[in-house]
Amino acid sequence: MKPAPFGYERPRDLQAALAVLGEAKTSAKIIAGGQSLGPMLNLRLVEPQLIVDITGLAELKQVERRGDELVLGACVTHADVEDGRIPDVTRGAMQRVAGNIAYRAVRNRGTVGGSLSHADPAADWVSALSALGARLTLRSGAGARMVAMEHFIVGALESALRDGEIVETIHVPAMRASAHWGYAKSCRKTGEFAHAIGAILIDPSAASARVVIGAIDSAPIVITNAAELFGGRIAGDYKDRFDARVADVMLATAGVSNAAHRHIHVNVLKRAVREAAA
Amino acid sequence: MNMIALTVNQRAVQALAEPRTNLADFVRDKLDLTGTHLGCEHGVCGACTVLLDGEPARSCITYAVACEGAEVTTIEGLDEDNITTELRAAFTREHALQCGYCTPGMLVSARDLVLRLPHADERLIRVGLSGNLCRCTGYVGIVRAVRSVIEARRARDIAPTPDGGRKILGPVGSGRSDADRAERMRSVGSEQTSPETASSVSAIPDFVPATVLNQHFSVAHPPEQVFAMFDDIAAIAACLPGASLTAPPKPERVEGAIRVRIGPIAATFQGAARVERSLADMSGRIVGIGNDRRSRSSTQGEIRYRLVPIEQGTRVDLSIGYTLTGMLAQVGRPGLVRDLAARLIAEFASNLDRRLSGTSPGDATAAELNGMALVFSLLRARVAGWVGRFASSKDGAT
Repeated sequence: MKPAPFGYERPRDLQAALAVLGEAKTSAKIIAGGQSLGPMLNLRLVEPQLIVDITGLAELKQVERRGDELVLGACVTHADVEDGRIPDVTRGAMQRVAGNIAYRAVRNRGTVGGSLSHADPAADWVSALSALGARLTLRSGAGARMVAMEHFIVGALESALRDGEIVETIHVPAMRASAHWGYAKSCRKTGEFAHAIGAILIDPSAASARVVIGAIDSAPIVITNAAELFGGRIAGDYKDRFDARVADVMLATAGVSNAAHRHIHVNVLKRAVREAAA
Repeated sequence: MNMIALTVNQRAVQALAEPRTNLADFVRDKLDLTGTHLGCEHGVCGACTVLLDGEPARSCITYAVACEGAEVTTIEGLDEDNITTELRAAFTREHALQCGYCTPGMLVSARDLVLRLPHADERLIRVGLSGNLCRCTGYVGIVRAVRSVIEARRARDIAPTPDGGRKILGPVGSGRSDADRAERMRSVGSEQTSPETASSVSAIPDFVPATVLNQHFSVAHPPEQVFAMFDDIAAIAACLPGASLTAPPKPERVEGAIRVRIGPIAATFQGAARVERSLADMSGRIVGIGNDRRSRSSTQGEIRYRLVPIEQGTRVDLSIGYTLTGMLAQVGRPGLVRDLAARLIAEFASNLDRRLSGTSPGDATAAELNGMALVFSLLRARVAGWVGRFASSKDGAT
């Protein structure tokens, strides 16, 4: 299908973009790579009156290492991460996640900030960046605020973004040398949205672990202190201590009522744990 | 309309197009480059894949206006390209096409793999081609063709280019417009269309729901009070987010609308419902039917409720059944509907509690529980929308 008619603006800088969004009395939508919004526009599930194209904004296509974290502009693409055009602070973790998002033609235009703003629970960055402990800078005409990933995704397609606000940068903490990373997803067809995602960032020497159970139909389950998944204690033998029953209860509590689906989620998480321990 | 200037197959071109014109339609309709094919038009099938600034991109979900200044290469522009020439010969030899519809996009993606993959690894080739659907060949010939070209080139010591040669950040095709040319095309007519009258729904038939969700919530008031409240259709409607009544309600016919949002997707179902109640066991049933004009989708919904006394008041058990047809139904996930339903019910319950306590739940003149049924369908609708691409019924709600 073809989209319904919309107006189009390509502001010259971030300030102009925020001004356009701030004054928009009509329904305005930001577009970056358009790999999520495009299909929705074409299917006429979304009919904004105005599209604000931010892909021309140089401010959003920058990357910088700031102390212990990497600061990514929102318009950095999945392929930019996959190809190593940005510095690696996660010991290859982000690169591997990026390389398995959708298809290369999609990765060449789809952006990290756009994917997060779209807040699809099955999107890779939603789960991966939650597990990595990333934070986002959200900017509007009124100023900027910082939000942790686990507070950013509110529900299916619902983020903490307010009217007139955009994701400006993504702050990814550097992964410690002692940390282990595992990321697994289940797709029936390569490249489609995942049916289950499991992500884990675990540091046995610091006895800390962040675990994400994603691609459920609401905001991902983010467990910032995941000791209970490992019998109450995080140590070097965490792979053997992983307690599938605890994960199952978490899923049931989050509303995943179908036992078969919980089983898939639990096993995908188990795969992520095994990958971390490998 | 807007004048769009870009480079297509190394030729500078300018043509007028609307902002909503995608790049594929632009090259086909304005430039007669009909080698670029459109299949699904929402980024799944890969038939429309072209090179944008030298990298593969979906031209069906890339709008021409966003490619101002970009370099576009369509299949016609690859006539003299070395890799594509080798691929064409290999496709012919391996019978890698039958009807040929997917072939232009397939060749563009295959070229990218030949350029980037270090070895002729079958798994990587298959993964790399997974975004290009072919319904004729079973892919065997295509994979063989791509593998043979990679093998031949690596044997000739032609090194791979893993990053496709791209050195700058950001979406391919973006940021090439003249910096002084900030585009500004304000439009468009008002979003509001005149609401379809609910009276267009004549009968309210019974039906067997395709999906049933069970939910419950509690309010701090006795069942008798809650049951009486449920008889006040207008009041109930006012508690339901997004619902509105379009005519004075009667139990045998409540006309109204329910508007639900899931992220950017919004649908408004206009319709009618009827209400049945049984004082004996404090239960009731609302059956409704409605249409969303925009998505040309229809829904039938049913809410059964039952009030159960509990220590702190009343537990309201809900069983929500619905069937959705039309575009929104093509892509639906009951689990998402449930997520939305849970959030709506929470809001409904707190509004109801407030109203029972004598405080107003806010503005909203709204529809009824009938609306609620519609809501859920609606929910689902949005939800569905969301999944726009390839939904499956995931967390089956029964």
